Amino acid sequence: MIDFIQMVISGIAVGSSYALMALGMVLIYKASEVPNFVQGEMALLPVFIAYMMIYSYGYSVFIAFFGALFFAMVLGCFLEFAVVRRAKNPNILGLIIVTIGLEMILLGLVSWKFGADQRIMPFPISSYASIMIGDLYISTMDLVTLFVALAIMIVLFLFFRFSKFGVAMKATQQNPTAARLMGIRTNRVKMVTWGISATVGTVSGLLLAPVIMEPYMMWNPMLKGFAGAVVGGMTSLPGAVFGAYIVGVVEHLFGGYVSMDFKAVVAFAVIVIVLCVKPSGLFARHYVKKV
Amino acid sequence: MDMKRDYYEDVKHFSSGVMLFWFAALIIFLLLYPFLFKNYYVYVANYIAINIIVVVGLNLLVGYTGQISLGHAGFFAIGAYGTISLMTLANFPFFPALICAGLIAACFGFLLGLPALRLEGPYLAIATLGFGLTITTIIGRINILGGRQGLHAPDLIIMGHHLNTDRQFYYLVVAIAVLLVFFARNITKTKVGRAFVAIRDAHIAAETMGVNLVLYKTMAFALSAFYAGVAGGLFAFVLRFIEPELFGFFLSVFFLTMAVAGGLGTIAGPIAGAILLSFLDLELRNILNIPYVGDWLKALSTSYFSLTGVSNIQFIVFGAILIAIMLFEPLGLYGLWIRMKKYWMTWPF
Amino acid sequence: MKNALFAVLFGAVVVFGMFSQGYCEIGVTDTEIHIGQWGPQSGPAASWGAVARGTDAYFKWINATGGIHGRKLVHHYFDDGYNPARTIAGVKQLQEQRGMFAWVGGVGTAPGLAVKEYLMQKKIPWIGPAAGSWHWVTPPHKYLFNVYPLYLGDAQLLVEYAVKKMGKKSIAVVYQEDDYGEQGLAGTKHMLEKYNMKLAAAVPVAMGDSDMRPHAMRLSRSNADAVLLFISPVAASRIIGIGKAMNYAPQWMSSSTCGDCPLMIEITQGLYEGVITSSFGMLETGEKVGDLQHINDPKHKLVAEYKKEVYGKFAARDERWGYTFVVGIGLAEPLVEAIKRAGRDLTREKLVEELEKMENFRGVLGGITYGPFDPNDPLTRIGQQELFLHQCTADGGSRILTDWIDTEYIPMGK
Repeated sequence: MIDFIQMVISGIAVGSSYALMALGMVLIYKASEVPNFVQGEMALLPVFIAYMMIYSYGYSVFIAFFGALFFAMVLGCFLEFAVVRRAKNPNILGLIIVTIGLEMILLGLVSWKFGADQRIMPFPISSYASIMIGDLYISTMDLVTLFVALAIMIVLFLFFRFSKFGVAMKATQQNPTAARLMGIRTNRVKMVTWGISATVGTVSGLLLAPVIMEPYMMWNPMLKGFAGAVVGGMTSLPGAVFGAYIVGVVEHLFGGYVSMDFKAVVAFAVIVIVLCVKPSGLFARHYVKKV
Repeated sequence: MDMKRDYYEDVKHFSSGVMLFWFAALIIFLLLYPFLFKNYYVYVANYIAINIIVVVGLNLLVGYTGQISLGHAGFFAIGAYGTISLMTLANFPFFPALICAGLIAACFGFLLGLPALRLEGPYLAIATLGFGLTITTIIGRINILGGRQGLHAPDLIIMGHHLNTDRQFYYLVVAIAVLLVFFARNITKTKVGRAFVAIRDAHIAAETMGVNLVLYKTMAFALSAFYAGVAGGLFAFVLRFIEPELFGFFLSVFFLTMAVAGGLGTIAGPIAGAILLSFLDLELRNILNIPYVGDWLKALSTSYFSLTGVSNIQFIVFGAILIAIMLFEPLGLYGLWIRMKKYWMTWPF
Repeated sequence: MKNALFAVLFGAVVVFGMFSQGYCEIGVTDTEIHIGQWGPQSGPAASWGAVARGTDAYFKWINATGGIHGRKLVHHYFDDGYNPARTIAGVKQLQEQRGMFAWVGGVGTAPGLAVKEYLMQKKIPWIGPAAGSWHWVTPPHKYLFNVYPLYLGDAQLLVEYAVKKMGKKSIAVVYQEDDYGEQGLAGTKHMLEKYNMKLAAAVPVAMGDSDMRPHAMRLSRSNADAVLLFISPVAASRIIGIGKAMNYAPQWMSSSTCGDCPLMIEITQGLYEGVITSSFGMLETGEKVGDLQHINDPKHKLVAEYKKEVYGKFAARDERWGYTFVVGIGLAEPLVEAIKRAGRDLTREKLVEELEKMENFRGVLGGITYGPFDPNDPLTRIGQQELFLHQCTADGGSRILTDWIDTEYIPMGK
């Protein structure tokens, strides 16, 4: 029983970083209708910029982190403005290829500048400190990630519900033409959506960096986040988060009880089963296209 | 480009004498290629030809039927492992082993097609991604197939001839590639091809008109899986040693990139995409050896970036080319060709 | 017709070529010897790119100090991104366009196996593949000289030390899902059988997986008091960190891959202290070794010299002096030594002869021994079989625990 609870706790811990990536992907999917493959690298570059600020320029950790978040916002906006928007008559596959191209460029840039060796990101909380409750443990970093993820979800929820810009974003996602008729500057909204998504991803990256930091660190969270977003429904923010946690927990339960080999595979198998039952994910409404 | 006036004109292989001439010229060029170029370029041609087979098959699924697949590396792996296992464990000769491996891949394609009936877009992408991952993990566990230690390819003996140079292998691969491309082109002109296109454009309307979605969607998956399987079998002999790690997610993405960047929904498009991107894949490592550019890059690395990571420029160049193609012409390389043709034909308007 | 014409032209070129510079071996001219290498300079395995760069710096140093018998070593290394298709492309291009005398190093089992047949068919010597895979010696090839000790040896040493010297009662192994990890697992099982013990737990790690929580949990539940790690440095740092978070502290032991103490101490922020790893070459110079008994070991002086001359003068500014860099030097040393011994009249056959005569050659790695080629005896091409154990100390140095120990070759039987 203890083992089961421990596995669930670990699953939730790892699910938090997946959840932040899932949030980012769903935001962009709702705005630009494209599964965003550059989500991971949009987070990677600001994390390495923070590293550079700390080591080459001597800023403190907090300033560097906020600098990274600001840079992420700018980066997301820039990518949308300069690249994604320039695609004429975009079809979904073409946009996917554009995001893959962007991903390769950003990954190449980071690897070129920083080399492939693993680095350490300083952080006030040690990545090895943990809280033990009886036989159960949760590392402090995991706890921080969990709280931050929940906080961001709440902030985004309030933002979408109550702020003018948030409502404008929802309107743009539901019906871009009508939104434009209503006077909403949809281009600007899309740009800011990308910026927010990059920032959310960067939070995930910054919380992952004290533990492991190397150019390929964001691939796994991105894929699992994508999978989680799909399970929860690509058009539903709470669904994406829930889906990401499910992916994490299933992975850990299976890894602990059955076999370590098929850990990731079973997560995907569960997703496929869920999708067979609910083709648009758990929480999204399944729109049937009219002929 | 030109309007087809009747069915027979649409189906005709060569729309005019000029097309026949160019086709003959192409065949002659392919036959003479190993004698015109050095052995290294024959190896590159082999690699490109294998990728052409996969991408043409993938295009049948993605371009013509409108599905998406991020798991084709799995079918590629099944073809590779299947061919080698049938040859070493069951003593099949080469061609039957290759075809059987392709058919096994097609069966798995059919299985993958079943959930695809309900899914689309990113949901289908994740399902196929999971499938590709499952295949490589399961192969890695089966010890008869070498497990994670990998498998050596046996000697390639066809009807008594021992194929072990690039040139001999070239003729084999190119012959199979030409055959399969021809076959794909013919499929697109038949009822099956039209059913695929109908499913892509308006699947509900298609179903109303009597197109059996279950049959044709699974057929599309099975067919593209067959192509990937055959290509995988040939690839195993190019590499001479395969292990599950080779057939990962990045490979599936690479296949998809070639298909889309080349031009979906055509036969010539994926061929162009495969040629360009495979060539870049193999040759971009030489970017540092280009006379002036290479030195400038190294100087740039030493002052602003790291010299140890300078090879990562390949990623940047590759990504930039992809973006340039997709932004400039969403229809891919084939779209560029069409645009040039149109400009030429309608000039000066 | 075209065929015949081409053949005549080709023949004429060959004849001209042969007469124009006197018959020399391929890849050898009056002033140059061309050596090739591949390695992952980009991609997920890029941290192993330092091997090729290490060899490069070593060759540059040799050239700067006069070359070998008046010839300079020209090192052609290219990036294959750990993609065997690219490895084949690069090897074929270099071999056919420039013509390499021999190949050295080369990271990766799959990339290496992709080109092995090609090189062996053309009778091109290949020294020191940078992967301790049993594929290089089973079956042995006349022109393939292994240097990197097989991972089976690491397992032997670690298990023996754990059981005999430390008296550990239950041993678990964490292994990566590829040739390297499988060797570690097989070697550990083999040794435990000798001591009539069973594995407490065998935990596989998928390639590229960095979430070690379930693995650490399984280890702690097995209550092993010594854990052998046959994984990548990234995964090792994670699993030790999580172990600490779970208050699970067995004796961690690892293979040489995670034996780069300065790097490991840095990325684990000190947690790697006390970990016992196997090693097949010296990394640290005299100052950092806690146990001073080896301070006058000529090998320390050699490593110090390399650090100053090779690394200090010829490595890139942002290169790290680490385990992979030194491996790059160590794998090339036998080749350079054999070229020196072959004399001015250098051919591939002479190189092979000199290599076969090598007995207990010590450079920066351990003793390397070959023998006259015997297709049934892997030991004629196995190179180095001895390893030693050291323990990482808090300041990134290492305390040497054992002397060089010879390991035995265990056939994997596949």
